Amino acid sequence: MTRFEKSGLWGALALLTAGAVVAVWSPPDAIQGDYVRIMFVHVPSAWLAFLAFGVAMAASITWLVKRSPTADAVAASSVSVGVFFTALALLTGMIWGRPVWGTFWDWGDARMMTTAVMFFVYLGYLALRRAIDDPLQRARRSAVLGVVAFAQVPIVHFSVVWWRTLHQGPTIVRPDPTIDGRMLAALLVNLFTFTVIYVVLVLFRLRLSSAEESLRARMLSAENPLAGSAVASPDLEVLRNA
Amino acid sequence: MNRFWLQAAEVARKDLLIEGRAGEVLHITIPFGAVALLLLPLAVGTDLTLLENIGAGLYWVIVLLFGMLVAFRQTADEGPAQRDMLAMMMVDPVARFAGKAGATAALLALFEAALLPVVVVLYDPVPVGGWGWVVVAGLLVAVGMAMIGTLAASVTAGLRTRNTLAPLLVAPLSLPLLVGATQVYNSLLGGDSPFVFLTLLVAVDLGLAIVGVLTAPIMEET
Repeated sequence: MTRFEKSGLWGALALLTAGAVVAVWSPPDAIQGDYVRIMFVHVPSAWLAFLAFGVAMAASITWLVKRSPTADAVAASSVSVGVFFTALALLTGMIWGRPVWGTFWDWGDARMMTTAVMFFVYLGYLALRRAIDDPLQRARRSAVLGVVAFAQVPIVHFSVVWWRTLHQGPTIVRPDPTIDGRMLAALLVNLFTFTVIYVVLVLFRLRLSSAEESLRARMLSAENPLAGSAVASPDLEVLRNA
Repeated sequence: MNRFWLQAAEVARKDLLIEGRAGEVLHITIPFGAVALLLLPLAVGTDLTLLENIGAGLYWVIVLLFGMLVAFRQTADEGPAQRDMLAMMMVDPVARFAGKAGATAALLALFEAALLPVVVVLYDPVPVGGWGWVVVAGLLVAVGMAMIGTLAASVTAGLRTRNTLAPLLVAPLSLPLLVGATQVYNSLLGGDSPFVFLTLLVAVDLGLAIVGVLTAPIMEET
């Protein structure tokens, strides 16, 4: 682990602690009570999922234009982390929904349904990457899917505006935010914390991808030795000394 | 007819000819879909009122899920040699996409038409006025599914896991088609205008056509 990665890891852990502290310090909601604290994980997770998939789309476009292997690795790493945050947003949403809405899952809710669809689309992206051995082919096909799949993100974001279902509409991104000041502060601290965690996770994932690529290349070269590699060249030093 | 459409028509004709010889859709997928419609009531209950109410919805679910088998039929899969040959013959990649999607749309429309009497006989769904709009919705769903299927088929071409991976890519993306198709029927049932949902289906199809046109040349490089 590099010094930069170590610093990032410790920084993320420190921020996570700070996020937990401000989440406890924030007042309970008038109606939801303490269940509102789940939002300090749920909302940043959802935002980070959008960010991760946005980065993946930008990296996919970069690959299609420049054919840069780094862009492909960034897209793959960002999607991996984005899928994790999407799962976290879905899970925390369901845990919060049970006491507040009375159900883990509401079939008629547009935000829940579109988020679940987005989750499966990006799972498909990861499955596609795993299925292809050739790096160039994998990068090309993933880049196309990475751009196409991003169409889900605006649908998920605007689902609460387009369909008036159970999930609440925008609370913060609106001209007159309806959230309490301390709650907003706690939310922003956690949003920053999660963003740092996202960056750290992507960096670690990039390192892992690089190691995986080296291993894969080594295994492929071991499986397919070059023609004639079994024949050793004569050792001239030995012959000269003999 | 200009060169582009001639090429697209030729690719579609080739796909339909191969399918006609193999009979994968006609002899396997359509009976499989009919069996699924036969089995479902055994799981959800054979209450006639319930079946009348859910019949139309189940029909669209079967069309979308089993429609994937039509889109990913073995006869539509092209090996690297066939792809290279088409590329060397200067067949426009977009015309290839249009031709393949066109052939699949025709087969999906056939699949929908074949299952329609089955669902009417087994479920007796509540009849609605304006069946013409349901037919229009069916055609739009066939075109949309065909384009998603063709895109997914090109992304998964030549992979060992193609037959399992492609449905995973297609199923979530086909949600707007399922919503549009079921809501057209529900709107007619409630005496409302189905135009909002028909517009949704048209918009999805147009979006997919744009994606297909933009990505076809890139996928050609594979």
